[in-house]
Amino acid sequence: MTQGDSVAGNAGRCLLCSEPPVIRMNNPDRHLCAAHLVAEIEERAARTIRERELIKPHDRIAVAFSGGKDSTALLVILSRLLPAWEDVSLVAITVDEGIAGYRDDTIRAAEEVTKKLRIDHICVSFKDLIGDDLDTLLVGRETQACSVCGILRRKALSVAAHNAGATKIATGHNLDDEAQSVLMNTLRGDLPRLVRTSDADSSDCFIPRIKPLADISEKEIAAYLFVQDLFPFLPECPYTRYALRAEVRTMLSAMEQKHPGTMRNLIKSKKTIEKYADRGAMSEPLRRCQECGDPCSRELCQVCMLVKSLGK
Amino acid sequence: MKIILPDKTIQEKTGDPVSISRILDQIGIHPAEVIVSRNGILVPEDAVAGGDDEIRIIRIAHGG
Repeated sequence: MTQGDSVAGNAGRCLLCSEPPVIRMNNPDRHLCAAHLVAEIEERAARTIRERELIKPHDRIAVAFSGGKDSTALLVILSRLLPAWEDVSLVAITVDEGIAGYRDDTIRAAEEVTKKLRIDHICVSFKDLIGDDLDTLLVGRETQACSVCGILRRKALSVAAHNAGATKIATGHNLDDEAQSVLMNTLRGDLPRLVRTSDADSSDCFIPRIKPLADISEKEIAAYLFVQDLFPFLPECPYTRYALRAEVRTMLSAMEQKHPGTMRNLIKSKKTIEKYADRGAMSEPLRRCQECGDPCSRELCQVCMLVKSLGK
Repeated sequence: MKIILPDKTIQEKTGDPVSISRILDQIGIHPAEVIVSRNGILVPEDAVAGGDDEIRIIRIAHGG
């Protein structure tokens, strides 16, 4: 079949030119060709950065770079937008958790991308941070994989970003991730986390985190990479099946399909709650961890609590 | 028509041209969780496939 004649109805061409479409976008419903998809995705990321003031002159951005699709798209987009910003630099940081049969492939992919884009690349491991890899830490507690990994990954990333002189940490969280987090925090009844601000915060204690892809869906990101031969064909994390997020993801995908706009509406509701919530009344005052001195809300930070619970 | 599933298994289908969304529905794959190429080129779910087309369904892996 020829491309132009093989899309149902009047949608056989890109909305903006005569090229065949590669994706059907919703909100609004329209078909785009590869070139216009790439242009739109990059423009939306640039708009998010501009409107939320995520990047400022002289920033050094540490990109949390796993080598997976989201962080690959993030690194590619930021490297293309870089010339528009005054004296801004990028450094990619990959965290090797130590997950057999998974992470080695993604690290190899990460190395190839950073080499191609000529971006500084730092790799740090859980073994360096805590003395063991994730597989060893999780023996007999696999169901806690995502929380253990998340705590250690944040710490590894923060340490590496600090050592690299970063002023911001950019992560590849997309629209689906953001909507899933809203629903997960609601399901857990975790209001303080729900109202935690989603934009770069100005805390002096932490390197601010930014999410330039927060307005772009997972599928749009995958398509953006595929049409440029950049899609990483990599395995899925073997611990994903233990995550609440996996269940929420399936449920939200089905809802979004049936009721387009569900994910955006969830994020909108979070932003409305954020606006009216008294964050100070909901969260503990910031303290210093009694073990390591890192900022935290309890006597011990999450990493030190985890290390103790692991008997290390 | 040859359909390559995310786990690399292959299905052969004959008959009238059919939309990608119908193919996904018949296989039981949620469209939000995959992208689909026809003869190596990415296509939207309302694209139609048939004849000698090669359809590849690519799962969007998640988890960084």
